[in-house]
Amino acid sequence: MEGKFYYAEIIAPGAALLDYDNDGDLDVLLVQGSRLSALGSGKNVQGSGDRLFRNDLQVNADGTRVLHFTDVTEPSGIVSRGYGMGVATGDFNNDGCTDLYLTNLGPNQLFRNNCNGTFTDVSKQSKTDDPSWTVSASFLDYDRDGWLDLFVGNYLSWRAESSTPCSTPSGRPDYCSPNVYQPQPSRLLHNNHDGTFTDVTVASGIAREFGPALGVSTADFNGDGWIDIYVANDGQPNQLWMNQRDGSFKNTGLLSGTALSAHGKAKAGMGVDAGDFDNDGDEDIFVTNLTGEGNDLYVNDGSGLFEERSARSGLGGASRGYTGFGTAWFDIDNDGWLDTLTVNGAVQTIEALRRENDPFPLHQRKLLFRNPGADPSGSARFEDVTARGGAAFELSEVGRGAAFGDIDNDGDVDVLVANNNGKPRLLINEIGARNHWIGLRLAGASQNVVAGLNTRDILGARVGIVRDDGVTLWRRARSDGSYASANDPRVIAGLGQSTRTPRVRVIWPNGTTEEWTTVAIDRYTLLKEGDGT
Amino acid sequence: MSRALWSRRRRAGLGAALLLMSACSSEPKTTPTSTSQTTEVDPSTLPAITLPDLSQMDKAVQQQIGDQYRSLQSLIESRSTPPHDLARAYGDVGNLLMAADHLEAAEPYYLHAQALEPGEMRWPYYLGHVYMNRAAPAKSIASFERALRLRPNDVATLVWLGNIYLDQGQPELAAMQFTQALSAQPGVVAALFGQGRAALAQREYSRAVNYFEQVLAADPRASMTHYPLALAYRGLGDTARAEAHLSQQGTVEIGPPDPLMAELRGLLEGAVAEENRGVRALDSGDFKTAAEHFRKGVALAPDNPSIRHKLGTALSLMGDMQGAVEQFQETVRRSPGFAQAHYSLGVLLAVSGRRQEAIERFSTAVKYEPGYVEARLRLADLMRQSGRPDAALTQYAQVMTIDPRAAEAQFGYAMALVQLKRYDEAHRRLTEGMSVHPERREFADALAKLEELRGRQ
Repeated sequence: MEGKFYYAEIIAPGAALLDYDNDGDLDVLLVQGSRLSALGSGKNVQGSGDRLFRNDLQVNADGTRVLHFTDVTEPSGIVSRGYGMGVATGDFNNDGCTDLYLTNLGPNQLFRNNCNGTFTDVSKQSKTDDPSWTVSASFLDYDRDGWLDLFVGNYLSWRAESSTPCSTPSGRPDYCSPNVYQPQPSRLLHNNHDGTFTDVTVASGIAREFGPALGVSTADFNGDGWIDIYVANDGQPNQLWMNQRDGSFKNTGLLSGTALSAHGKAKAGMGVDAGDFDNDGDEDIFVTNLTGEGNDLYVNDGSGLFEERSARSGLGGASRGYTGFGTAWFDIDNDGWLDTLTVNGAVQTIEALRRENDPFPLHQRKLLFRNPGADPSGSARFEDVTARGGAAFELSEVGRGAAFGDIDNDGDVDVLVANNNGKPRLLINEIGARNHWIGLRLAGASQNVVAGLNTRDILGARVGIVRDDGVTLWRRARSDGSYASANDPRVIAGLGQSTRTPRVRVIWPNGTTEEWTTVAIDRYTLLKEGDGT
Repeated sequence: MSRALWSRRRRAGLGAALLLMSACSSEPKTTPTSTSQTTEVDPSTLPAITLPDLSQMDKAVQQQIGDQYRSLQSLIESRSTPPHDLARAYGDVGNLLMAADHLEAAEPYYLHAQALEPGEMRWPYYLGHVYMNRAAPAKSIASFERALRLRPNDVATLVWLGNIYLDQGQPELAAMQFTQALSAQPGVVAALFGQGRAALAQREYSRAVNYFEQVLAADPRASMTHYPLALAYRGLGDTARAEAHLSQQGTVEIGPPDPLMAELRGLLEGAVAEENRGVRALDSGDFKTAAEHFRKGVALAPDNPSIRHKLGTALSLMGDMQGAVEQFQETVRRSPGFAQAHYSLGVLLAVSGRRQEAIERFSTAVKYEPGYVEARLRLADLMRQSGRPDAALTQYAQVMTIDPRAAEAQFGYAMALVQLKRYDEAHRRLTEGMSVHPERREFADALAKLEELRGRQ
């Protein structure tokens, strides 16, 4: 923070959980900013540098775990430029190793994982070095050709040297609102299967409408087997890009009921995630918003039409005092119902904190909500369990990104929180392992002979876990969603107290379906495309 | 361009703690009953309240709040001040702080005013707004209900209360408030809109359609209504009507007639307050009033480029081009990096036929703000019209990169190609344009002319 209320300094950062070295545990990437006034001066500024930490997880004989991380940024070859915003992860070249797309205020960077612990910056040659201000991005296979394409969510046109001064009604300087700046169009980049991408933004129809994009989540919202794209925009209508199965997309945000609040007002969409919170087999959407607005829950009827149930679910009213950023649907207690967590932090000065001479008066607490479970009427209210979340939930910080994944491989979802102008936090889940679970890595074939890898993660695969009580839990392998962050692509499904082996059905992104009947519980299993029945 | 700041944001937990402290200090000595006006607290028992740090505010606002506070202090020191006069003095400070967006600082002043003058509806009403904007719904509901006990059919209070119930997922309670508001003032649009929202939340789509249609019939400008109305039609299975309304969706909100809040908005002095009032006048088409407010703002903050630029804009809308140019020029003299002023100057220069100077202004605008689509597009058009099609092509190409939707850039690019006699490329561009922008007739017309031209050659 430079005391000049530079708008860009309150937007970042994100974080990623990824297994970059294929050793079976999640490593950490933290995004960093730098000095904006130096960037604005036109000098060649090296960013503080996004940092990669290798997870040296130790699992003891008694099952206890010791987490230890080693900063491997320099040996990894990752040299980030400019002012970091966020990160997306995916294996874009199908070599079995997870690559990194770093979003920046300025040109983005694609780092190809060399499968030997190092990365190579291939931004220019891959044509992914979008110069706009990007916050969130997502790898997705929108054309079902088996190669990950890239959606780049662009935000606003802003430069430090022409930063507009803004102030409160009393004239006190403060951060501007996003409507002071022009939104920039998002991009859809098609994977050419040769390490390069082609910009298909116009041809795909994505260019027709855009807003200041902050959150991106991709899922098959209408159940037709093709991945769609949901974009949360800051202060402008959100977009739901329905895949037309011919390389083009149509924005159904308004008719679907996911563009605006129920009374027609655009909110300041920040973080977003899609998940089947009501276990009815379709993807519902949760969006975090600004203080005073409340977060939004859009409930899918299975056809891609949604009903806004923010108030009725309790998620809207309880979050009105917070500015939400990173979020996800995840089953914190492995009871089979998706819960939700949001990390929060204001974007304009909180007067009460300023009065206390707080040097960084934007901080807020996180929020944790427990899903109450089945309710056919749809009127069940989420329970605010923040106070029971432990010491981490008593901290008030300027939360931005949040990456979700099982960092200690104990079968429940942990959370890596990226704070603005503050330390990151790693929240270890202590209750999920009390219930039973299955963990799945959804993979396809890779022909990486050099590295000896024969599997690659498949993002976008849907998994139906048919429990012995007849309920089917639908989950999806994804790294996107949340805010400027990348999640563990593995799927964890909570089984509650059941010890029965569930049937597992996988719908791969190419449309084929397979089943497994012998997936062990309470451990991770690799499900490889073609190995099922 | 709107300078509206994001919604007020406060941390609920801290707010609750402050409230508790204030409530303990000021209210226990009263026995608040519904309408009693005889339970005023003894002023001498009220704890002192200090002002927040005003140092970063506009000088005029500091002065205004400071004066009001000193006036309050002198009334407090004069032991003979009647309680209702003291209440109003506390309330006046609270009003200024609330208008300045210092909600938490305003709260104890309103609480004291309420304690001293329990029969006055304004204090719980303003407290209701304080708590509503601080996302403290329970306290907000309690305050609005208290205001209603003092003025049972106040439409604004009923509507705000109904809105809070809606936000809390209690549409049945919300509907009761809107019903009462409509009974007190039949046809009030904000209450009809609320009834529609409550019906929609209860999936009573026919009723929702009925209410929303009434809103639009009463106030066709209320364009935000089209969205929930569309969702109601969608609920009834009438997709065609839903889509018809979605195409009319806009951003004009519906609020209740609210004289008390309007009074607050007019209170604050200072540059930003004048700017905000100017923007409201500008939005309503009252350019003269807008210019007056912006001029006051400029006098208070001569180096603020945004206010001065708005003054220039208002003057140009009034037809005072010379005055507008002077303000834009002064803006860029004081703030050379303020791209919008360069752009506005460029527009006025281009209109008066001073193409080269306009080109320079647009070039400066995009130098400072490379993503400024309108400026770059105007620059490209002027370059093309000035016989510089090569330079225009570069600018059009950049516009298309920045905003792939920009049909004007695609069309201009094709026309520049025609100027360069690169007919095949121009033909391809126009054909693409027709396909991507079928609604734009100019592509087909130009293509026809191009084919005719090529036919003649």
